[in-house]
Amino acid sequence: MPSLGLLLVLALASLLPASDAVQLANPDATRSDELRGVVAGLPPNALVLVGFDPDLGTYGEIRATVRAALDDLIAHGARLAFVSFTPEGRALAAAELDRMRRAGQGALIADLGFVAGSEAGLVRSVADVVPADAVGAVADSIRARGGAMGAFTLVLVVSGGDLSARSWIEQVRPRLPSISLVAIAPTFLEPELAPYLRSGQLHALLATLRDGVAYANAVPVDQSAVTRRPISALPMLAGMLLALTLMGGSALRRLARGAPRGAG
Amino acid sequence: MNGFFTPDLVGGLGTWVAVLLTVGVWSYAVGERTIFRLLQLLLAGLATGYLALLAIHHVLLPRLLVPLVTDAPNHPLLFPAVALVAVMAGAAWLPRRVVAPVAALLVAGVAAFALGGAIVGTLLPQMAAALIDPATGGSGVIDGFVALAITILVLLAFLHGSPRGRFVQRGAGIGRWLLIGGIGAWFGFLLVSRLSLLVDRVAFLLGDWLGLLR
Repeated sequence: MPSLGLLLVLALASLLPASDAVQLANPDATRSDELRGVVAGLPPNALVLVGFDPDLGTYGEIRATVRAALDDLIAHGARLAFVSFTPEGRALAAAELDRMRRAGQGALIADLGFVAGSEAGLVRSVADVVPADAVGAVADSIRARGGAMGAFTLVLVVSGGDLSARSWIEQVRPRLPSISLVAIAPTFLEPELAPYLRSGQLHALLATLRDGVAYANAVPVDQSAVTRRPISALPMLAGMLLALTLMGGSALRRLARGAPRGAG
Repeated sequence: MNGFFTPDLVGGLGTWVAVLLTVGVWSYAVGERTIFRLLQLLLAGLATGYLALLAIHHVLLPRLLVPLVTDAPNHPLLFPAVALVAVMAGAAWLPRRVVAPVAALLVAGVAAFALGGAIVGTLLPQMAAALIDPATGGSGVIDGFVALAITILVLLAFLHGSPRGRFVQRGAGIGRWLLIGGIGAWFGFLLVSRLSLLVDRVAFLLGDWLGLLR
């Protein structure tokens, strides 16, 4: 039962006390600093649009990073508006908005809801992103600035497999070249999104677990922010070693089986 | 703490349901298939119900029925849209000469939409970013040439069935290995991603449920 063994090893590694010898956070804080720099450069009371479309399956990987980014934005005086273009993203956005309201951040956020049509909905929202039934001070501020995506100083795209920052770059940026985009994505999207960071189409990107943990560690933790527990380093190390052992064993068995055929 | 559940009775109940579902899914690891299948059906049922509600409340009612009933003259495009949907829904029994132009219109529209974005948003800016700029210094030029060489070799690997010389064939072979290397690196990212999700679930059981983690 290798699967059960893996679960037991991960459980044991999770229970062991954290050690400074094993660090998951990337010591190269360039990516983390880029996002912190963008957030620190926001004007007071900036309106930030959060395009919230993570997958249900992979959100657990970026949850701590996303919450750190939301805390960071609010600590810098930003007001946040959440919009989703995928059904899964909407479900998670509703849960996060509920959590933020319980944490007393309700006055600083607006729920712009779900926009159907995926990329077509994204394009439609460039001109009008505030639904008629959206209420609150933040929604009114967006309406006062025209109600379009141009009203926002920054867009934070929380990416998933169905709709990632790539869709925003391809469909929104050509229509709104002045828009400032930053993204948080699960690790598997790193190869897809990294070129946009190098070309300057994305101003910051956290798309690996190590960069996400480095960022979450860099953002000061509020007393109320007990929900921001990053992935632990020790179980990740144990899991990676186990996976490497399994892969190595499989490769060795394959080589051993192939050797007689080659010799023959 | 995952933060989704409140510390009251409702939150406790939610945690217990999440724990039972997690353990139920993991029962597959010890060879239990029945619980796993039941949970798959539960997920499919919940997802379908959620999507149906989302479609009714966010699309059908506010964007179709309400405008049609209350303000039809100001939404003239809704009538051809409804006709398009009717044609697509009846595609099985309508004559092909009716369905084919509509299907072609929809497919071409969606393709043009996606392709336009890919060219303007990705292809052209990425080509511009990949141009070798001598002003970036030695490392920038070397990076540029390495990227160019890899791109050409990988593109050669996709030449199937066309006549090749020995040089092109060798280049295509190297391109295939580079492609395999790239896919392997992506697999590594995927492995880290999935492992972190498993660690997160273990932490949920140990922390949120059993309270063993601080």
